[in-house]
Amino acid sequence: MADAFRCALPKEYYRQFIERDVRPDGRELGEFRPTVLNIGSISTAEGSAIVKLGNTSVICGVKAELAEPKAETPQEGYLVPNVELSALCSSQFRPGPPGEQAQVLSQLMVNIIKNFHSVPLEDLCVVAGKLVWVLYIDLICLDYGGNLIDACVLALTAALKNTALPSISVEEETQKINADITKHNMLQLACTPISASFAIFDNTILLVDPTSEEEALSTGTVTVVTDGEKIFEMDKSGGSQITSEQRQMCFRRAFQRHREGIKLIEDTMSSVDR
Amino acid sequence: MEISDGSCSTASMSCTLGDLSQPDGSASLTHGNTQVAAAVYGPCEVRLSKEFPDRATIEVIHKPKVGLPRCEDKLRETLLRSIFETAALTALHPRSSIQIIIQEIEDQGGLLATSINAACLALLDASISMKFLVAAVTAKVKHDGSVLLLPQEGSTEKDSLGIITFVFREPDKSVVCSFTSVGTLSLQQRNQCLSLCQEACDTVFKFYRECLENKFSKIK
Amino acid sequence: MRDTPLSNCEREFLLDIIKERKVSCEVTLPKLRRPTEGILFVNVELSPMASASFEQGRLTEEGVELSRLLERCLKESHCVDLESLCIIAGAKVWSIRVDIHILNHDGNMLDCSSIAAISALAHFRRPDVTVKGEEVTIHTSEERDPIPLSLHHMPLCVSFAFFHQGKYLLVDPGELEERVMDGKMVIGMNKHREICMLQITGQMLLLKEQVLRCSNIAVVKVMEMTELIQEALLNDKSSRAKGLKCGFAESATKRKVNRTWKEAMDVNSVPGCEVPSDSDSESDEDVESKISERGDVNVLGHGVGAIGKSAVSKWFEENTDDMEKELEEERNKSVHTNSSQQEKAMTAVMPADISGDHEGDSEEEAIQILDKDLKLQPM
Repeated sequence: MADAFRCALPKEYYRQFIERDVRPDGRELGEFRPTVLNIGSISTAEGSAIVKLGNTSVICGVKAELAEPKAETPQEGYLVPNVELSALCSSQFRPGPPGEQAQVLSQLMVNIIKNFHSVPLEDLCVVAGKLVWVLYIDLICLDYGGNLIDACVLALTAALKNTALPSISVEEETQKINADITKHNMLQLACTPISASFAIFDNTILLVDPTSEEEALSTGTVTVVTDGEKIFEMDKSGGSQITSEQRQMCFRRAFQRHREGIKLIEDTMSSVDR
Repeated sequence: MEISDGSCSTASMSCTLGDLSQPDGSASLTHGNTQVAAAVYGPCEVRLSKEFPDRATIEVIHKPKVGLPRCEDKLRETLLRSIFETAALTALHPRSSIQIIIQEIEDQGGLLATSINAACLALLDASISMKFLVAAVTAKVKHDGSVLLLPQEGSTEKDSLGIITFVFREPDKSVVCSFTSVGTLSLQQRNQCLSLCQEACDTVFKFYRECLENKFSKIK
Repeated sequence: MRDTPLSNCEREFLLDIIKERKVSCEVTLPKLRRPTEGILFVNVELSPMASASFEQGRLTEEGVELSRLLERCLKESHCVDLESLCIIAGAKVWSIRVDIHILNHDGNMLDCSSIAAISALAHFRRPDVTVKGEEVTIHTSEERDPIPLSLHHMPLCVSFAFFHQGKYLLVDPGELEERVMDGKMVIGMNKHREICMLQITGQMLLLKEQVLRCSNIAVVKVMEMTELIQEALLNDKSSRAKGLKCGFAESATKRKVNRTWKEAMDVNSVPGCEVPSDSDSESDEDVESKISERGDVNVLGHGVGAIGKSAVSKWFEENTDDMEKELEEERNKSVHTNSSQQEKAMTAVMPADISGDHEGDSEEEAIQILDKDLKLQPM
């Protein structure tokens, strides 16, 4: 009966729950889904992480390659993030070239890395003008359960934090490149951005960490990526009437989420060292 | 250009409505040295896969100046679509499509805001019914903490701490969309930008009115 | 022959021939690369803006014909001295990219794009380059004045539409005229009266005299157009020399009736007009305490951490708690049903094989699987 109700009148079904300050999955309105983070699960990649945010799961691998730098920036390496929404994660995606959502997510990852300057690009330089590191960051969604942005950003930050590059030495006379695979240098991040997303239900109510169902019913979304004081925001609230207090609330929640996320990454990383 | 405390200037704006003969509505907007052409087709036939039984489909295409469309353009498209899906009264035209095409002509800062404003003017020119008008304003925070509005002559991305675009609606000037395009801002800087942009959006709304007045005064 | 991308240079130029035909084209020129000769890349975009029938990202037959004709007109007439675009033979050359965006389709796109393309090429200036051995330095426009391309001649296209088996002839057909015409002839010509391209399409046969007549008309038209382009280029040059503003923002014709203009305006920001107060520290603390309650990181294993408890997660709960319980139960059961003999045998195997921890682990797994199999048999 409940399932039929949910299917026929999904908005009404949600309203009944939200009136009582709870969501159909048992969460409070301001609560994130359980987040599981696994670091360093892919041994062939230089850095990797798996993030499960409720049912949403994203796997991130960082692959490092040596390449010639771009002509405009001879002293900087570069990053190539790519988000893949394969057909296996949801029936809404089809195999073939990346769809609009995948492209937008990839661009968002590019923007987040660039805006926060989280990876010091000068550190990726091996020989100025000749040889730099290129980090291919592949994010693959395994299960689409809503709020991909948060899962992707967490996976991205965790994987980058976990990235170790082999040390490289160049013989001056022969220009030969020697890679020492036994010695690794951890990539030092300047910033660890963590994001928090909100869906706006019925134009007024903010739902933290929306599931795919909630995303489909929402009238707008707000994403706030933070690191310390710094904010990157993408507000697509549309015509929703959210007040400026609610917006400030989003920022506060994002700051808290940042603290939670950082603690999660750090504790998980220290469990690897043990 | 000059920044005395608390005051800032918006660049000059110029707009031609109905420049193009083929689209139902078009506008080419020049804001400072940034120029964008926007065209609107619709309400017209929609592809079956994109059809909604209760409302019109808004399709946005953003074309870059050089080369083929990239991921950046896709991101801009989704932002624009999220704005105009709520701004336009889509329920009036079920099972149809409203196409907004944006062509970047010159980008000297504040491209996103100029595209949004051009799209809004093109929708007005095409006589698409809207719930409210939207106006986008871009603000930049420099490294020394000073805030100014974009586009501004001689301003580059390099000396900026962060660039943020706010989209407001009429008449309550509440935020419809915001996007940090470059760098990051602190909460205080963001709110400073917000209040400045909120002031500046009045000039944009006024400009819309002037454009339409000018257009209809010439029609007999 | 590998070549690297060179720096980015771009200049655009709008040729405004809207007055008569309501068509405008924009052309942009950046870089690329190629072997001994520089390369010229012509890209025609039939933007959906131009006409409702054009679709994004799909080149129609019309589009293919248009870009092919333009390529023939520009590339195969060798109007651009490609050898002058070479920096280091076989290693570094300039590549010129011509992007043509059709903004409005009101017929005769070809003539319009050819005018726009050739004037953009004539107007284009690439950055200066100096070569010292292997090193190539590209100078910015501030360091050294950019250099124009060397153009041998300026080929332009002129289109003719024919009706009634060539009885009537129209120069520069409009969109409606193009739809009903019998056939079309395109002549590519420069001001020295040299024909570099000629194409006839459609269901009609033409007499020699008609072709000659057309080419005579083309001569006049090409002369007119070349003059127009030269004038526009001169205009631009002189205004640049005077240090006036130039570029697209200025080229928007100010005389037009449908144009609205607004001066730069000062904006006074009243600080704190809608800046929300941050005085909600109470609720902040409230939430804070809640977070800390459930925000503790739960390290599940080697390199696996988790936060948050509520809500369903298929992966998390089933795999850890439920599955383990099930396994435990199964193991218990199997232990009960199986003879103690086997158990002893297993324990006997175990210590003998413990040479490394990992092996021990895999052994245990094997046993579990074994147990399951055994359990299935009696049932």
